[in-house]
Amino acid sequence: MKSRMRIIAAILLKEIQDIKKNVNLLVMYFLPVFFTLIFSYFIPDMPSGFALNFGLLFLVVMIGMYVPSMLIAEEKEKKTLEVLLLSPAGAEEVLIGKGLLTYISILVVTLLLALIVGLEGQSLLIIFISTALISIFSIFIGMMVGLLSPNQRSTGTIGLPIYMLLLLVPQLASISGEGIMSFLAALLPTTYYFHIQERAMAQTLQFGDIMLELSVIVISIFFSFLALIFLYRKKGI
Amino acid sequence: MIRAENLHKNYGDKRALNGIDFSIESGEIFSLLGPNGAGKTTTIKILTGQLKPTSGSAEIMGRDVLEQRKFLRPRMGVMPEETNLYERLSVRDNLRFFCRLYDAGFKRIEEYLAIVGIADEIDSPVKELSRGMKQKVLLVRSLLHDPEVLFLDEPTSGLDPASAASIHRLLERLNEEGLTILLTSHDMEEVDRLSDRIAFLHGGEIAALDKPTSLKLEHAPGRLEVLVEFEDEIGEVILDINSGNAAEKIAEWMKEGRLTAIHSCEPTLAEIFVEITGSELK
Repeated sequence: MKSRMRIIAAILLKEIQDIKKNVNLLVMYFLPVFFTLIFSYFIPDMPSGFALNFGLLFLVVMIGMYVPSMLIAEEKEKKTLEVLLLSPAGAEEVLIGKGLLTYISILVVTLLLALIVGLEGQSLLIIFISTALISIFSIFIGMMVGLLSPNQRSTGTIGLPIYMLLLLVPQLASISGEGIMSFLAALLPTTYYFHIQERAMAQTLQFGDIMLELSVIVISIFFSFLALIFLYRKKGI
Repeated sequence: MIRAENLHKNYGDKRALNGIDFSIESGEIFSLLGPNGAGKTTTIKILTGQLKPTSGSAEIMGRDVLEQRKFLRPRMGVMPEETNLYERLSVRDNLRFFCRLYDAGFKRIEEYLAIVGIADEIDSPVKELSRGMKQKVLLVRSLLHDPEVLFLDEPTSGLDPASAASIHRLLERLNEEGLTILLTSHDMEEVDRLSDRIAFLHGGEIAALDKPTSLKLEHAPGRLEVLVEFEDEIGEVILDINSGNAAEKIAEWMKEGRLTAIHSCEPTLAEIFVEITGSELK
């Protein structure tokens, strides 16, 4: 157990050192901050709460999925994974190390976005916890995209339809009302995350008010984890 | 220390290994010499547990390489043919990362970098290094955790002679300290210099396996090429190596001060490879 923790910590530290010099990924972190700033301060006609809604959804979907998929695919493409797996590190430690980097960075950026829009109190707590939960789901999906992708370019081909579905459908459904979009949205955990955000910014919520949404997100985490384990056992890293 | 028994490996219809058998003693430098596609890298990948053989078995320290990976990984060092380093990180960060994975101290990093002559590059990003420098970092990375067995896949491929020599010196030093080394190469001079024993790999089979000297003597033509001064020019005389006549003539030329040079006419490993397999060593 101790050696596993040491290996995971080593991989996490390496990922932190590496991401600081990875311009492609740094741009992804910059975008939700940029959008939230623009929507908050330069487009005054935006509906209340839209800036944070968009920024957070972009953060959990695009970064939560894109970053782990790219990190895994890059290790495969550049054959660094081969030598990593010849060391005492196993595939599980590699996935956990990369997932942890993504998770921690999402939480840090969430706090930054909350600071930009001036979110505080119970709303901040609810949004932070729901973001912490939905990010786990996103990271599992991103890891699956990484497992399926032989190189960085194919993460886009495989992942983009999934990212777009999870990012755009909840927002389009909130505009279009009933119909196919609404039906699709009801199947996606990001829709329930979107609802939590909307409600948390419009009124003072208690955790009891969002039990349905949180339950859907937790169940989604469970099923995405099962899918990740299934894919990993079937395909390997 | 290392044992390969009847190793077969097929990639679809293509046969990469066709029944390889060999064993390597502790502290030995053993080389697999063969052209590209002979099965050298496949053999290394099977021995390091990266690849499952179609049939046959491989053991290191008496343990199956697939079933005992957890035990064997910290005891093996592997230098692959690809320069698979983290390009954005510095040399120091790359090497420290692997020290942390193996729970090894950082003290060896600077020592080994100095031996291979790139200590000044310790804080350079790997992407700014030349191919030769990257090869050296790969070698250092494979040694940081003091492995008992070292696998080197084409360690000096594409390196200049000075760089290759610095790598050879380090390998010889580590071997003197007891490190067992399995080396693949198509560089006959490297193999000749470093190896205790050599296996010629051709078409997925071992075509010959022996000490370099034994291979050369076995295929030596048994002749001496002698350069002698005849009046105002130097002539070449070929003599049978074990004939009394040769000894008398050489003694006579020596007494007369006319002997310039004697060559034993030993074939090179490349020539022996061609003789045994009928193929060039490329």
